[in-house]
Amino acid sequence: MPLEINVNGEARAVQGDPMTPLLTVLREEMHLTGAKLSCGEGFCGACTVLLDGTPAMSCLMPVGLVGERAVLTIEGLAPAGSELVPVQKAMLDNDAVQCGMCFPGMVLTLSALLQQNDSPSEDMIREALVGNICRCTGYERIVAAALEASRATVADAQEVSR
Amino acid sequence: MTAPVIGSDLPRRDAEDKLRGRTRYAMDSGRPGMLHAALRRADQPAARIRRLDVTAARRMPGVRAVVTAADAPGRYGIAVADHPLFAIDTIRYNGEPVAAVAAETLEQARAAADAILLELEPLPANLTMAESLASGAREIHPDWRDYQELVAGGSRGGNVAWEATVIRGDTDAAFARDDVTVVESEFVAGRQNQAPLEPRACVATYEDGRFVIETSTQVPWAVRNATANLLGVNVADVRVTAPAVGGGFGLKFEMALEPFAALLARASGRPVKLVNRREEEMLTALCRENADIRIRSAVSRDGEIVAREATVLMDCGAYGGEQPFLTTMTAHTLGANYRLGAVRLVSRAVYTNTAPTGAFRACNGAYNTFALERHTDEICAAIGMDPVEFRRRNVVGDGSMGATGQIFEGDVLGPMLERMETLRAGAAGGLPAGDRRLFGRATVVGTWFVFVGPSAATVNINPDGSVTLVTAGVEIGSGSMMQALPQIVSHSLGVPPESVVVRAADTDSAGFDIGVGGGRTTVSLGAASTAACDDARRKLLEVAADLLETAPEDLVLEDGHVGIVGVPDQRISIAQVAAHAQLVTGPISGSGSFTGRGTGSLPGCAAGHMIEALDIPIFTVHECDVAVDADTGHVQILAYRVVQDVGRAINPRAIHGQIQGGVAQGLGYALHEEVTIGADGCIRQRGLETYRLPLAQDVVPVQAELFEGAPSIGPLGAKGAGEIPILNVAAAVACAVANATGKRVRQIPLTPPRVLGLITGMEPQPNLSHVGSSWRDNVLDDPDELLARSPVHDTATPS
Repeated sequence: MPLEINVNGEARAVQGDPMTPLLTVLREEMHLTGAKLSCGEGFCGACTVLLDGTPAMSCLMPVGLVGERAVLTIEGLAPAGSELVPVQKAMLDNDAVQCGMCFPGMVLTLSALLQQNDSPSEDMIREALVGNICRCTGYERIVAAALEASRATVADAQEVSR
Repeated sequence: MTAPVIGSDLPRRDAEDKLRGRTRYAMDSGRPGMLHAALRRADQPAARIRRLDVTAARRMPGVRAVVTAADAPGRYGIAVADHPLFAIDTIRYNGEPVAAVAAETLEQARAAADAILLELEPLPANLTMAESLASGAREIHPDWRDYQELVAGGSRGGNVAWEATVIRGDTDAAFARDDVTVVESEFVAGRQNQAPLEPRACVATYEDGRFVIETSTQVPWAVRNATANLLGVNVADVRVTAPAVGGGFGLKFEMALEPFAALLARASGRPVKLVNRREEEMLTALCRENADIRIRSAVSRDGEIVAREATVLMDCGAYGGEQPFLTTMTAHTLGANYRLGAVRLVSRAVYTNTAPTGAFRACNGAYNTFALERHTDEICAAIGMDPVEFRRRNVVGDGSMGATGQIFEGDVLGPMLERMETLRAGAAGGLPAGDRRLFGRATVVGTWFVFVGPSAATVNINPDGSVTLVTAGVEIGSGSMMQALPQIVSHSLGVPPESVVVRAADTDSAGFDIGVGGGRTTVSLGAASTAACDDARRKLLEVAADLLETAPEDLVLEDGHVGIVGVPDQRISIAQVAAHAQLVTGPISGSGSFTGRGTGSLPGCAAGHMIEALDIPIFTVHECDVAVDADTGHVQILAYRVVQDVGRAINPRAIHGQIQGGVAQGLGYALHEEVTIGADGCIRQRGLETYRLPLAQDVVPVQAELFEGAPSIGPLGAKGAGEIPILNVAAAVACAVANATGKRVRQIPLTPPRVLGLITGMEPQPNLSHVGSSWRDNVLDDPDELLARSPVHDTATPS
């Protein structure tokens, strides 16, 4: 029986071996190339996806072990036609992007952090990024964008509660 | 009038797609019917190939093509053509490719590569430069005399792939003076892996008798040429395109996987994709080379440097690659920064049985600056002068003579040191009470250059008023293609930057370019673009003059319109002019080009140098505050300050981004990115678990100031800003750690065990017994003959 996993809100059939890394299935079968194969060993974070809202290294996750958990990739975070999420917007505004390879993973990790805690400290942001390597930027604008987005998140929440 | 576009923080046009994960890098490419490829690599550092049998591999499931050295007759190189695509008869490094396989799936390709029969007969391996230079050492390239020299002038011999020398003045006499202090220092620097997150990757097809290669490269034209030479085909039969590149830092400044994929595409008749695994990137990256350095200087009591001799050994690994070219830069780093009396330098690229090294952001400048600045601090200690005061007195200024006799223009480093003092004001001068760690601070200077060289550009003025810029420039992450170039074109033609379409690199559409690196994109491609815009503007104004019934000289381009000077309401849009031009002259396009101007040096001073003087020198001042934990050897960066000469800032925010990123990479180099080589000649750090890249918790926000106004032949007075941020970092950190600990820091990276060893006195001092103390001991030719050949210049007194 073919496997089925939930990717970006849709049930998707998966061909092949359940031991195939989720990253390979996303990139090769589903053509979702936002998650990157960079180290393939779970150290760089370029392949980060969210599993039920928790960041996971998709290069190390056998697709057969995803189970019922919802997979969210960068393509599903702000789907075509929708606006950027606050942390993406803040990265855009801060001229944070350089080569761009790490950003899908960075954005997902930080989105998950902000879901969990809408006003993290700078130290908490740096700690959350311990599994996401950026070789270009020296991180400061990524951290600044996360801080800015956390304020935006707070402001949005306040607006809703009013 | 809209706000000026030069000096504005134009955002990046590629940022949103990159944030949405939509940008397609070469590694994301796919084609119908595409095969996947894998390389078979040797697992010994030095061996004779007894047998290479691909018969079994060809019969493996899914295999469509297998290629070997028989398919690639050529050799390539930058100065010397010493490098075959596949090892021929001899293995020279652990990881050297011997065959390539294309199959339906990646797993099938890798299985078939593993099934290739390779029998090796081990040879004695030279794993270090000391071993390669030892008397009686086995020659790694016994046929070196037969290799084609692509550049003349360097001395070669034995395991010395290239030697460059500088002789200016009589150092012997200066060292013999009885009124000078002689200070001698030795340094060792490790390798650094560029480690861009996108590995080297390409997709090749064979179409209409030509190779078409989409690749992750900084140098489309160099890939085109190298591929053609290696495969023995016409250069015109190779087309190279480059999409967005996921980081380069110099790793992609040379041909990489492209010829393998090209051969397999031709052999199979199918598109072929080849991507390095991270492990392959770790084991075969063209790292910043490890180096052994000896410097000695004769200094007068008041701090005048009357003479300097230095020897720099650069480990080029099994093949020369970039290193023969880079030997050039010793003259312009060790011999720059300070005014010098007599100077003799020798810079050697040395073959070893290790993976070839290459270019990495600021190249040998990063360790030469580390060595020079630590040596300078040792001079200061020896003569009892404050290090900042010494630098203030001795840095090069207007009219100073560089090592090769170049005359510098403008006072730059001096005022930059003053600017640093202002930037420092208010910084804490120590650690808070109760913190028992050791505090150290250092201020260091650096000199580097823009690698100018040839670039071409075309601009097409479209009938909708937009402008298409066509160059072979590649967006590798620095933003030059997304920000600086559209800003320059926008400024030149008076169109909004959003109206400038930037064509991605394609060697079939754009003229020659030497590549994206060496801080040259904004300068060289910018200057070529400016020239192309000038050409287009002239044509545009001629047509507009006709329409507006006035002379072209009375016209001005701004806000997307052609206006008449002094007549504000009479103007027509560029779109109208371009549309009209189509009818009367045909479509308007302009072409432009640029290359270095060839700044003069003293004739005969430099031998074996590919750049004898710097067309655009760049200066930088760095300062860092560190805390050293004497119990663990851990170095924490407390604060980091930069004053960088930028000529003119086209996009200040983008430059600040480059400085932050470059400093972070430099901190990795200075502190924890360590490459070591095992007894099997294999690099021990096989992944990102053992090769420690800087993380968000390791870096600090860099306080940076852009210093504008220094002379530059770049467009609008700009200089390259992306390469130099890494130049001084190891120097600043090493000097600060030396100041904190009171120990002579002679080796980087300053990992905690090494720092602890320095503090406890357990760290062995670098053994440079293979580098003679005198310059004379380190040259291939008879030193007296070399001296006799050099012209006599009266340069003993620093000016």
